[in-house]
Amino acid sequence: MFKPTSSLLGGLLWKTPWRISQPQKARQRKRLRSVDRVVDTVSAALQRNGYEAKAVQRWYAEMPREEEMLPKDKYTIFDKKERKYRKGIHKLPKWTRVSQRVNPPGF
Amino acid sequence: MSYFRITLIRSAIGLPRRSSDVLKALGLKRRMGVVFHRVTPSVAGQIMKVKELVEVEEVEKAMTKAELHMSRKPDPGYYVESRA
Repeated sequence: MFKPTSSLLGGLLWKTPWRISQPQKARQRKRLRSVDRVVDTVSAALQRNGYEAKAVQRWYAEMPREEEMLPKDKYTIFDKKERKYRKGIHKLPKWTRVSQRVNPPGF
Repeated sequence: MSYFRITLIRSAIGLPRRSSDVLKALGLKRRMGVVFHRVTPSVAGQIMKVKELVEVEEVEKAMTKAELHMSRKPDPGYYVESRA
């Protein structure tokens, strides 16, 4: 029997699930920690050699570390079009390769 | 005088042009490629631009291409006593 589903009627159908899965969350935390580790290594190396870099200082001044972040900020992002202004971080284009840690002021 | 050992872990395909240009400037051409750079603020700034894509270590000495290759080679399991 023919069951009209959106993929049969329209052909290609790609959907991003509403929820982010547990393994995706685990990998997200791993990536956040790896970025923290890179920044720490760079900062320690600069200090040992008596240098400082603006980009590193700015990162420490503005960005929370993985363990300081709230689950809300790790797995969701602000979106003005969304109900309650939050959507899953996996909706963000290239979300596995960009740093998205802080919210706009007031959110 | 120490060096950054920078390994490209994730490719910059589909990312803004800026990221691939920074990788090119660092000399990283493919995933798992390794480059060595002196520890300086300018290199640190470059690493910060692509911090999501690379892994960084601080090392005392830069390895040459041949040394890197040898470090990746597995132990052959034999040694040559004398050449015939």
